[in-house]
Amino acid sequence: MSELRPITALGAVLPRFGSFGALEIRENAAMALASLALRFGTVEPMPFGLILPGPGRWVAGQGVAALWTGPGQWMIEAECCIELDFAAELKQAAPRCSVTEQTDGWVAFEIISRAGAIPLEALLSKLVNIDPADFGPGRATRTGLQHMSCFVVRRGDTHVVVLGARSSAGSLWDALETAAKRLEEKVT
Amino acid sequence: MLIPHPSLGPRDAEEFTYLGDSRLLDRPDPNAPDAESAFCDYVFLRDNPAGVHRELWFHEQGDRSWLVVTRDTVTHQVLGAEMARDVALARKGSGA
Amino acid sequence: MTRLSGGLIDRSRTLSFTFDGKRYHGHPGDTLASALLANGLRLMGRSFKYHRPRGVLCAGSEEPNALVELRSGARQEPNTRATTVELFDGLEARSQNRWPSLGFDALAVNDLLAPFFTAGFYYKTFMWPKGFWEKLYEPAIRKAAGLGSLSMRPDPDAYERGYLHCDLLVIGAGAAGLAAALTAVRSGARVILTDEDFRPGGRLLSETETLDGARASDWISALKAELESLPNIRVMQRTTVFGVYDHGIYGAVERVSDHLAEPGHRVRQTLWRITAKRAVLAAGATERPIAFADNDRPGIMLAGAMRAYANRWAASPSETIAVFTNNDDGHRTARDLAAKGVHVAAVIDPRPEARACADYRLIAGGIVTGARGRLGLTAIQVQANGKSEWIDCGAMGVSGGWNPNVHLFSHHRGRPVWNDALQAFLPGEGGPSGLLPAGAAAGCFSTAAALRSGAETARSALQEIGIAARLPNLPCADEEGYTIAPTFYVPGKKRAWVDFQNDVTVKDIKLAHAENMRPVEHLKRYTTLGMATDQGKTANVTGLAVMAELDKRSIPETGTTIFRPPFTPVALSVLGGGDTGLHFRPRRLTPTHYWAEGQGAVFVEVGQWIRAQYYPRVGETHWRQSVDREARAVRRGVGLCDVTSLGKIDVQGAHAGEFLNRLYSNMMATLKIGRVRYGLMLREDGFAYDDGTCARLGEDHYVVTTTTANAGLVYRNMEFARQCLWPELDVQLISTTDAWAQIAAAGPKSRALLDRIVDGFDLSNEVFPFMACAALTVCGGLRARLFRISFSGELAYEIAVPARYGHALMERLMELGADLGATPYGTEALGVLRIEKGHAAGAELNGQTTAAMIGLGSMVSQKKDSVGAVMSRRDGLASDKRRLVGLQPLDPAGKVVSGSHLFALDAPRSLDTDQGWITSACYSPHVGSMIGLGFLENGDERLGEVIVAANPLEGESAHLRVVPAHFVDPGGARLRE
Repeated sequence: MSELRPITALGAVLPRFGSFGALEIRENAAMALASLALRFGTVEPMPFGLILPGPGRWVAGQGVAALWTGPGQWMIEAECCIELDFAAELKQAAPRCSVTEQTDGWVAFEIISRAGAIPLEALLSKLVNIDPADFGPGRATRTGLQHMSCFVVRRGDTHVVVLGARSSAGSLWDALETAAKRLEEKVT
Repeated sequence: MLIPHPSLGPRDAEEFTYLGDSRLLDRPDPNAPDAESAFCDYVFLRDNPAGVHRELWFHEQGDRSWLVVTRDTVTHQVLGAEMARDVALARKGSGA
Repeated sequence: MTRLSGGLIDRSRTLSFTFDGKRYHGHPGDTLASALLANGLRLMGRSFKYHRPRGVLCAGSEEPNALVELRSGARQEPNTRATTVELFDGLEARSQNRWPSLGFDALAVNDLLAPFFTAGFYYKTFMWPKGFWEKLYEPAIRKAAGLGSLSMRPDPDAYERGYLHCDLLVIGAGAAGLAAALTAVRSGARVILTDEDFRPGGRLLSETETLDGARASDWISALKAELESLPNIRVMQRTTVFGVYDHGIYGAVERVSDHLAEPGHRVRQTLWRITAKRAVLAAGATERPIAFADNDRPGIMLAGAMRAYANRWAASPSETIAVFTNNDDGHRTARDLAAKGVHVAAVIDPRPEARACADYRLIAGGIVTGARGRLGLTAIQVQANGKSEWIDCGAMGVSGGWNPNVHLFSHHRGRPVWNDALQAFLPGEGGPSGLLPAGAAAGCFSTAAALRSGAETARSALQEIGIAARLPNLPCADEEGYTIAPTFYVPGKKRAWVDFQNDVTVKDIKLAHAENMRPVEHLKRYTTLGMATDQGKTANVTGLAVMAELDKRSIPETGTTIFRPPFTPVALSVLGGGDTGLHFRPRRLTPTHYWAEGQGAVFVEVGQWIRAQYYPRVGETHWRQSVDREARAVRRGVGLCDVTSLGKIDVQGAHAGEFLNRLYSNMMATLKIGRVRYGLMLREDGFAYDDGTCARLGEDHYVVTTTTANAGLVYRNMEFARQCLWPELDVQLISTTDAWAQIAAAGPKSRALLDRIVDGFDLSNEVFPFMACAALTVCGGLRARLFRISFSGELAYEIAVPARYGHALMERLMELGADLGATPYGTEALGVLRIEKGHAAGAELNGQTTAAMIGLGSMVSQKKDSVGAVMSRRDGLASDKRRLVGLQPLDPAGKVVSGSHLFALDAPRSLDTDQGWITSACYSPHVGSMIGLGFLENGDERLGEVIVAANPLEGESAHLRVVPAHFVDPGGARLRE
C-alpha cells in the first residue's frame, strides 16, 4: 500500500460524527464506489450476485449494494475495500459494461434516527423535495439539496444516506448539521 | 410545476433545466446541399406557440435524462412526457 | 380601561410592552392591536398620503391602517400589522409616518392641501422643470409619503426552506377548514391544515354562538386534541399559504418565532413548498366598510372586528359604541357588545325593514353622514326620516357586507362571479385545478353551512383522488341566514374613504371616472386603489361598486377583482430561504485546500470553487510580488498547481471515438491509446465554445477535460448529443471531476520531480513524450494517471490520484522537490503563464469568437461533421479577419488594460474604425513589462505594427506593438524537450 496517508472529504484523518437529539450523522469514509453503465446489446449483469434495481430503487447484498442512477446506469457500493481497485473488480464482474471509478467523487453521510422514522423524515423535509410516503426503505433518488446535486438513499426505516460531491462536502455537512440542530429546538 | 417523468413519476420542475422546442432533436443533414440554410433555421428559428408545445427538459438534478414534455403553454397543463432518446430513435427509425 | 370580561386571553400572566416609548400591559393571547385597544388607545397610525390620524380597522391580516414598526436595532421591522402581531413580553412598537409624534404630525398639513393631491396628482403636477423629478420631487415625496423605515442593517435572523407533501391541504382552520380536516383525517388521507392565526378556530373564536350547545372554543379544543393525536395530519398554525402554483404546489410561510422576542437558535420563518394532490380553500371572508364622510376617524372600525375584539380579546375601543350596517351580521356586534356591558348608542341600518336582534336603539332606514373627533371618534351624524342628529359615541362598527376570500382561487386567473344575494364575488370557473373553495370563501356564511361545506368539499376532493371519506357528525350550529342591501357609500360633499391605506376616497374614483380612467385596471393605477401592503382587501369591491354606479352599469359589468400572490406580504428574507453569506451557494474545495490554507494561500472564488489565487511569502507586501515569483519558479524550476476544478468526463462505449469526433471540431477517433489531444468544441452556431484535452485510456475509453466554468454545461450538452442527437451511438458518460485530485507540475525540472514519485515508470522523452498519458502507480502503489500536457509552455505534467490522496501528494511533491525549487502557484500565476504562452482561455472564448480568431481555424476538420462545423463556415463568421495577437507597450513601464479597444495609429476613435479589443493583460515577469492578448483586424499580418489601445473608461490610451501571441518559446521546443 502507498506510503501516502489519505484525508477525509472534510479534510480530517477520521470521519466526522455528530449527534443531534434523536439523529446522528456519520461520515462514511470506508465505502468504495464505481459506476456501471450498460453498453448496447449487453444483458443486465448481476455483479456480486446483485439483481440491479429499477428506477428510483436501491438494493443491498453481501457487503455490496446497487443504486439506480439513470436509464441503464447504476452506482455500486462496497464496504471495506476502499483501498482496493474496486472499479477493476466490478469491471471483472461485469466485463461488457462501462465501469468508472467513483469512490473519491462522493462524500457519504449516513443519517440514523434513534427514535423511529419521524425525526428522519422531519430532517429530510427541511432538505429535499421528497415525499416520505413514496420513500420507504429501498428507495433512492437523485435530487437537489441546497443547490447541490445529491443521491438520497433510504437504507432502512430509520436510516438514510446522502451522497454529495466530495468537493462540496463541507457545505453538505453544514446543511445537514444546521437542519438537524434546528430540529432539536422545540418552539413553545 | 410537476413533470411526469416516464420512469420516476411526477418530479418538481425545480429539478429540471429547460431547453425549449423539441425541434432541436432534428439536427439537419450536414452533407445536404442546403445544409447551411437548414442549420440556420435549426439554430435560430423556434416556434413559441400559445398552446400545445413539445419541449425539451433536462432532469439535471435527477437521472440526467432529456425528456420531451408536451405542455400547454397557456394553462401549463402537461399532456405527457417521453424519454427524448426514445423519441429521437423513433424518428431516426422512421426516417423522419 | 376598556378591558371587558371573558375572552380567550390568559389573565394569569401579564405581558409588558411599549408603544411609542410608553409602557402598557396585556396578556398572552392578545395581539398588539387588542392590547392597545384594551389600554384605551384608538390612535395607532397616520395615513400614507394625507397623514390622517388612524385607528385599527380590522382584526386580521387585511388591516390597512394599524401598521407599526416592531423591535429595534437590526431586527427593526416596518409595516407590521398590529392586528397580527402576537403580544410578547418586552415587545417594542412604534407608530409610523408621523413627525414629531403620532398625536401631532407636522405633515398633517398635507390633509389641508388635499385638493392638490387628488388621484393622479403626480402624473400631472411634477412634469417640469426637467430634472426636478429626480433631484427634488421624488425625494420630497418619498420623505412625506411613506410607511415604515428599514434598519439598513443585515437581518440577524435565520430562515429556512422546507418541503411537504400531502393528499389534502386545508387552507384555513375556521369552521369549514376544521370540518374539512376532520373529514379527511378520519379517511386516512394525509392532511395538512394551515392557518395564519396563532390559534385554530377562525371566525368561531370571535363569536358567541354555540356548537352542540357548548362554547365553540370547547369544540375546537376537543377537535384540536383529536387532530394532534393522529399521525396523518400536520396542523400548522402561524402559517400563511400565500400563493398557488402549477400542479398543486403551494407556497406557505410559517412564522416560527415571530411571536418571540428573539428567535434564539430557532429560525425566524420557514418557507414551505407544499405539494398537495388536492386543496380545500377555507380562507373565510373579509368584511368591507361603507364609505361616508370622515369614516376614517380613529374608533371607526369594521363591525366584525369590533365584535372579535370584544368576544375573543375582551377589549372594546370605547364604552359607548354605535353600529352602521347594511346587513344582519352587523347587528350581532351590537348584541354581543351590549351583552358585555358596553353601551350601544344606536344601530343605523339603511334597510327600512331591518330588525333589532337585542335591546338597542335601531335607526332603520338611516345612514351615517359624518363623524367628529380628529384623534378619536366623539360623535357620528345620522340622517333618517329626513332628520339629522349627532349621536355621541367613542367607536363605531361598520359593516358593508362580507367578501369571500377568493384570493388564492384567482391566482391562476380564476374569475370570481358576482352573487346578487350576497352582494359579493364568489369563486367561479377556471381557478387553479385541484383547489376547491369551501365555507365562507365559497359564500356559505352561516356556521352550520360552513361546517357542512367544509366536510362535503373535503369528501369530494378526496373522492377525486380515490380516497373514500365519510362525512363526520358535525355539531349542531347556527343556521342563521344573512341578508344584505347594497349600500357601498353615502353620498356627500366631504371625503369618504374607500381605500384607507392609500388614501383613496369616493371623490378620487369620481375624478378617475370623469377623466375616463374607467376600466378597473386603469382605476387601480390612476388612484392607487388596492395597492400596497393590504392589496385592497377591504377596498376593492367598494371601489368597483362606486365606479359601477358612476358608469351606470352593474358591478360584474364593470369588472372583477382578481389577486396575485402573495396573499399577505412575504419578507424577502424568507423567500431567500437562508441562502445568504456562506450559504449563498455551495463551496467546492479542492483536494489540496487545507494544505493551501496551511501555506497561507489567498483564495479566490471561481464559480462554486474556492481556488488558491497566490501564496504570499514572508516579506512580500504586494500580490504582484508573489505572482511574479510563482511564475518565475515555473519557468526556471518547477511549480505545482491544483487543477482539480477542471471538469473531467469519462467517456466509454463502442462508439466513444466517433461520438467525440462529432463533439469536437478536430479528430478524436484517430487518437492513439496512451495519447492526449487538445480539443476545441464549437457551439452549433459556429462560435468557439470550450476547450480542453481528450485522453485515450483504452480502445473504447476516453477522459475529456473541460474548463472549470463550463464543466456542468459541457456535460449537459454531451448528454444532449448522446440522448437526443445520436442515440444510435453506444456511448456512456459520467463526470469524474471530484474523484481525482489533479496537480499540474510545470517547469523544466518537473520531470526530475516526478521521477522521484513514480513507481519505476520511465518518464524519458522517448517513452513518455509530449501529449502522452498513462495509468501508473506512485509513492509505493498509489493508483494514478499521468498526462504530459502543458498550459504554461514549459515541460509539464498533470498527475491525478484519488482525491483523498491529493493533500498528501502535494505535501510529498513539495518535500521531494525542495532542492528543485518546487513552488506552489495559484490561479493568478496560472493566468500569467498562459497569457505569456498565448493560450486562449475564458476571456478569449467568450461566445463572440471563432476558431479562426483564436488561431485554431485549422483545427476545425473539413473531413467530418461536428457540432458547429457547418455554421462555422457561413460568411459572417468565415469572413471575420480579427486574429489573436500579442500586444506589448512601447514604453516598458506602460500599461496594458484588458477591455481596451484597438485602433490604427492615426485613426479617429469611432465604432467604424474600431479594430478589435484586448482580452487579457498581465505583468509578464518573463518579458519584463505588461503584456496583453487581443483580437485585432488582420492581426496575423500586422506583426511589428504600432497601434493605439484606447481605454475611455479610464480616459487613457497607450501605444502598443503587435507581436506574436506566444511570448514564450514560440516554437514549442520546451514542451517537447
